[in-house]
Amino acid sequence: MFKKIFFQSLFAGILASIAGLIYNRIYLFATLADFSKVLNTGSIIGLNIMVCILAGMIYWILVKSLKKKGDILFGFLFSIISFACVMIPISISLPLKIQSPELFPGLGVPMVFFPVVAWFTIKPLFNLANIDI
Amino acid sequence: MRKITYPLAAVIIFFASAFTFVQSQNWKIEDNYSVKFDGGDPSGEFSGLKGTISFDDKNLTASKFDVTLDVASINTGNGMKNTHAKSEKWLDATKYPTIKFTSSSIAKTASGYEAKGILDMQGVQKEIAFPFTFGGNTFAGSFEVNRLDYNINTAEPTHGSAKFKVSVSVPVTKQ
Repeated sequence: MFKKIFFQSLFAGILASIAGLIYNRIYLFATLADFSKVLNTGSIIGLNIMVCILAGMIYWILVKSLKKKGDILFGFLFSIISFACVMIPISISLPLKIQSPELFPGLGVPMVFFPVVAWFTIKPLFNLANIDI
Repeated sequence: MRKITYPLAAVIIFFASAFTFVQSQNWKIEDNYSVKFDGGDPSGEFSGLKGTISFDDKNLTASKFDVTLDVASINTGNGMKNTHAKSEKWLDATKYPTIKFTSSSIAKTASGYEAKGILDMQGVQKEIAFPFTFGGNTFAGSFEVNRLDYNINTAEPTHGSAKFKVSVSVPVTKQ
């Protein structure tokens, strides 16, 4: 089961990264605000994969210990944590050399939802809801 | 010979008296200056420094700082904090668009120099001492400001920091 969850998490991380990179390009094009010192190709891919792998590990622990209830609990937990993470791009203080910090939440806030969206988008493909837990 | 004694004396005195009008050297502020403030949270910098700097270490009595900071140029690195800092509750950038420092005296100290003068912020004028050094065509120094002394959000004295360390580094070129 862990192998299946691991690959699901990895693919979710890759999907979230692709979405993040596309959104980053669109945002740069639309605002000309350069936040590459904070969010660049490396950090977007790294953060999304890290969050999805961590989510997968938590999912595995929850379904292992709470069975079906763990699956339901994980859905709520991942969504609530993602929503709470909205505060990170809003409250973070960027390096002073970065211009227009007021535009950073517009880039960062949608991105905090990419891992959770990708995770639940990928989930049916791996059919984890029907695996024998 | 006697005829030219007094005219000669007059010419000598005239030219010698010109040297009594010794002016202090004027300096132009370069673009790569920094005016940073540190109160833990928030910390940041101002980017709108303008004014005149007259400084001659051999003629400190004629030296003078007369500089202003654009309040709207404040940058804490966070857009939300920048907006709050410029609002009526804090620095009120609309009503008080500049922070001004005008020196009244500059004296030599053991570690460098000290400028005493009036810091005008939010309509409150207070005398401060600004210890600084001058080397490599750069003025550098720091001083402490208590925002409550300038009536800045006195309703919330414990919101964030009350005391801020202001560090200034101003590269200059001769005018």
